[in-house]
Amino acid sequence: MKNSLLIIILLAAVLFSSSQASGKDLQQQLTDESMIEKAIRRGRLKIGMSTFVPWAMKDKNGKLTGFEIDVAKRLAADIGVKAEFVPTQWSGIIPALITGKFDIIIGGMGITPKRNLKVNFTNPYDYTGMSLVASKKLAEGFDSLDDFNKPDIIIAVRMGATSAAAVKKYMPKAKLRQFDDESQAVQELLNGRAHAMVSSAPLPAFQALKYPDRLFLPLKENFTKEPIAFAIRKGDFDSCNFLNNWISVATSEGWIQERKHYWFETDDWQNRIK
Amino acid sequence: MTGRTGLNKKIKITPVDYVIIPLIIAGILYTVYRVKTGMHYNWDWSAIPQYLFRYDSETEKWLPNLLMEGLFNTIRLSIWGILFATALGFIMGLFRVSKSLFKRLISGTYVELLRNTPPLVVIFIFYFFFSSQLIPVLSIEDYISSAGESTRHILAFMFGKPSMIPAFISAVITLAIFEGAYITEIVRSGIESIEKGQWEAGQSLGLGRFQQLRYIILPQATGRIIPPLAGQFISTIKDSAIVSVISIQELTFQGRELMSSTYLTYEIWITVALMYLILSASLSFLTGRLDNYMRKNSG
Repeated sequence: MKNSLLIIILLAAVLFSSSQASGKDLQQQLTDESMIEKAIRRGRLKIGMSTFVPWAMKDKNGKLTGFEIDVAKRLAADIGVKAEFVPTQWSGIIPALITGKFDIIIGGMGITPKRNLKVNFTNPYDYTGMSLVASKKLAEGFDSLDDFNKPDIIIAVRMGATSAAAVKKYMPKAKLRQFDDESQAVQELLNGRAHAMVSSAPLPAFQALKYPDRLFLPLKENFTKEPIAFAIRKGDFDSCNFLNNWISVATSEGWIQERKHYWFETDDWQNRIK
Repeated sequence: MTGRTGLNKKIKITPVDYVIIPLIIAGILYTVYRVKTGMHYNWDWSAIPQYLFRYDSETEKWLPNLLMEGLFNTIRLSIWGILFATALGFIMGLFRVSKSLFKRLISGTYVELLRNTPPLVVIFIFYFFFSSQLIPVLSIEDYISSAGESTRHILAFMFGKPSMIPAFISAVITLAIFEGAYITEIVRSGIESIEKGQWEAGQSLGLGRFQQLRYIILPQATGRIIPPLAGQFISTIKDSAIVSVISIQELTFQGRELMSSTYLTYEIWITVALMYLILSASLSFLTGRLDNYMRKNSG
């Protein structure tokens, strides 16, 4: 009895003293704990990403390359640290960030309110949109979203991506079939088991170019517009400030637009992959 | 293994075989035909070899590329997984046959918990909840980054890329805990298969329980444990593919990454399957030899 009383008093004392930390200490502590500060101390920025052509992919030599890889490498260089990539499955990338498997997601992640409740997003540095590629055989003559919004239509998407949400919103009657990555979704379409495949541009256009006799683009333009941003853990405003300003610097220089043009509008990089 | 005695006998073909064999051949031919014509797929096998080995023009050497690196990681993962699983399985197996109720309860709970949950679920729980608490406490990362050049080389040889070691460790622990449950049961059944008289004989010689186990029971049980244990090792190699879901860069994960980059879905899956087959089959062959050797020596 005496012992437990003593323990309670001790615990209360510890709690009290820790809550006494002054405002100045707290500010210092927050600064030290910020992701960027930690990365500088470690000398490495750990970046979570997932393979997605042409955002991030492996080249012939097994090295990562792509739009997001360029962005991440420049960001790390500007901080003065080494970029360390942690390839992660897209469906588990947010839990992996929250549990500290890496510092930041740089992987073409679209801002959605639902995701934003779990992680913090920077200002957007890029915009993408959902685009749709369809099977010539199954979806002949289709040319609007309404044509696809029917109960007997099957649409393939990547699991955990915003494409599933876009399909549910714009084609709620269609049946959704989800796969772990885009290549499987495209294969489903090529095998004639799905009418269409939805994914971030420009992947559907690339696929239509690659299989002109089997696939086509029924819609002229993307049917959604999504802001793309870096995602970091909640509560880290110092890093958010740094990243936002880095984005405005890189955008003002025209560097981001130039990289985007290279990866999305040219195919000079194609021979580096296969 | 059982066919060894019948090896010299002439193989007889019965009327049933005349029906079955053409049917199987026709089935295979039909599948190949369907794949060639029905499936809309542009086969491109020429791209695969460069993902196994690549020529590095800087150092002028042939280096393993994605798929071979993945295979090496699978081997590392399997070896460590097997080592820890065996250790854990033996301890828990002995607990299973212990006289102490407490030990039996611990090992019983362990085995039932792990055998009755899907490995995928166990891996997710362990990776996201336990390892994110456990690994920072061990501060492995700091140790790795502060290690010297030669230490880093040794670490890379044993555990793969230094930056991936924390994830690798959680994968090994999960795999070991999971496979350990099955090894526990193998050990338990091995020990329990020894006749009760053997224990009693030990007792009558004045040996204590530990001595009975050490000198009488275990030497006999080991012979019965090893064949199913070897089977479990092969399972471990195959089960290691599951950890690709927590982004360990082993063979399955590398294959999937490559597929998302190149869209050579079937070529890569088939190559990955062949690589697993070669790895497991060679271990299978070795355990077959071991089995024969032990049978001969035990008379």
